Amino acid sequence: MSKIMTVDVLSSIKGAQPSKSVNKLFEAIKNANSTNNNFFNNTHNNAVSLNDLREDVVVDSPQIEKQIIIENFPREKNGYLVVSKVIEE
Amino acid sequence: MKSQIHRIHQQMVNKEISCTQLVQERLDLLKSNSHNTVNSILDALALELAAKVDAKIKSGSAIGLLEGIPFGIKDVYMLQGTYATASSDLLKNYKSPYTATAIQKLLDAGAIPLVKENCDSFGHGSSSENTIFGAVKNAINPDLVGGGSSGGSAVNVAKDFTVFSIGGDTGGSIRQPAGYNKVYGFKPTYGRISRFGLMAYASSTDCVGPIAKSIEDIRILLNAMSGKDIKDQTTYQSSIILEKNILNSDEIKTVGYFKNFIENDAIEAQIKSDFLISIEKIKAKGIQVKELDFFESETLVSTYYTLAMAETASNLSRLDGTNYGNRIEGENLKETYSITRSDNFSEETKRRIVGGNQVLSQGFSDEIYLKGLNLRDQIGESFEKDFKEVDIILSPVTPNSPPKIGDSLKDPLSMYLSDAYTVGFSLGQLPTITVPQGTETGLQITAAKNNDELVLKFANFLKDTI
Repeated sequence: MSKIMTVDVLSSIKGAQPSKSVNKLFEAIKNANSTNNNFFNNTHNNAVSLNDLREDVVVDSPQIEKQIIIENFPREKNGYLVVSKVIEE
Repeated sequence: MKSQIHRIHQQMVNKEISCTQLVQERLDLLKSNSHNTVNSILDALALELAAKVDAKIKSGSAIGLLEGIPFGIKDVYMLQGTYATASSDLLKNYKSPYTATAIQKLLDAGAIPLVKENCDSFGHGSSSENTIFGAVKNAINPDLVGGGSSGGSAVNVAKDFTVFSIGGDTGGSIRQPAGYNKVYGFKPTYGRISRFGLMAYASSTDCVGPIAKSIEDIRILLNAMSGKDIKDQTTYQSSIILEKNILNSDEIKTVGYFKNFIENDAIEAQIKSDFLISIEKIKAKGIQVKELDFFESETLVSTYYTLAMAETASNLSRLDGTNYGNRIEGENLKETYSITRSDNFSEETKRRIVGGNQVLSQGFSDEIYLKGLNLRDQIGESFEKDFKEVDIILSPVTPNSPPKIGDSLKDPLSMYLSDAYTVGFSLGQLPTITVPQGTETGLQITAAKNNDELVLKFANFLKDTI
């Protein structure tokens, strides 16, 4: 997809524009000295060891959790949860 | 101040006060909502739990230290069946389907939740003014901000509305409001406490932490909440910190501070001179003090906000009104997303989401986002080097005293820059406590990663020294 997407589309926020204050922060980072050109040197590696992965099992949610998830759903009609009309482009 | 938890525990055990009485008193204080700290009150739940504690005491059974102790929860945590609004329009009617691990551990220990506390929406702010529940008022001077983003939590503790509160700290959100309201606030090493059930702001620096009135209470709460959690794979197993281990600080020989934090134009003269007086008092105790070099404030703030905005843009992309949230219907799905998000997010939240999407998009990511990641690695390396030379790094919490309510919102850039002294330690994922001493907004004590015990040790030392 080569179409250029503007920030309002990327952010799904109507009429969104880049902020001047935030752009000043970005300018500062562009101008900051960076002595180390190795982008991924793993100082902040929080990855989990392969030996320490959790079990790949399906855990059923308790009934109360399911009930609240349904309660939180924005719209319901005749016992069905209603989503917005999906369009295809 | 001595441990509130121990004192109240003893009062209940001695039957000087019943748990119901205690909880009712605090609920009454919270109900007046004098400082806009309250998003919702959990009175029915709290009184039900208090009655159980009273029945247990009456039957002659022993109660645990945290049993019956009333506390507050920043409104970004899940507590099953209660509202979790993130102080936002989008989630103002959202109910937590499950309970956060850290909160569950406190419930398991018998602590009683009283209130979901006001904060900056989704943690986006440094003043607790970016909220649909009204700006949080400072505990000491109600014309000033409560600080943020865990402002409601810090003010509730300072005003004794809660015995302790659980805040969240991504770039200073526990430490700064603790400083503004003169209480203790602790951001543990990243991963020490599970983030499961904390609404994600910037996942790589989000930390759960306690706000309380004594170091002993912070220690008790840290122990209660720490530990590996299968639901947050960045957590690690840590050891219990014993009270006796933090009473003696003889092993601390060298303290460092960042010269450029103190010697610049941005810091208020009073904060600077108070900080330097504290340094002299530490030297007088025979501790060696070293000046350290560190990154410019502007670089720290820019690095932090670049990464935090990128992460929050991703984390909040799920908030589109489809499965939950205040959906506003448009003509089609995309319109629905866009109207829902435009109308329900605050200006500050939108600013951060847009900023995040800017730095993650093609053409920007290399020179901003990837450079931010690179700078973070350098900051981490710089800390590793520093902690080979010093045991503790001491820093002011903020360059300035708390602003008046209304002033921060006018100038987002200056609000971002006010986080200059807290964000570095977040990027380093280091354990840092704010102590209500030394300067008007307190002092920060930081140690190397996983050395949370040393932070508490030095906090105890400072309590008696300055």
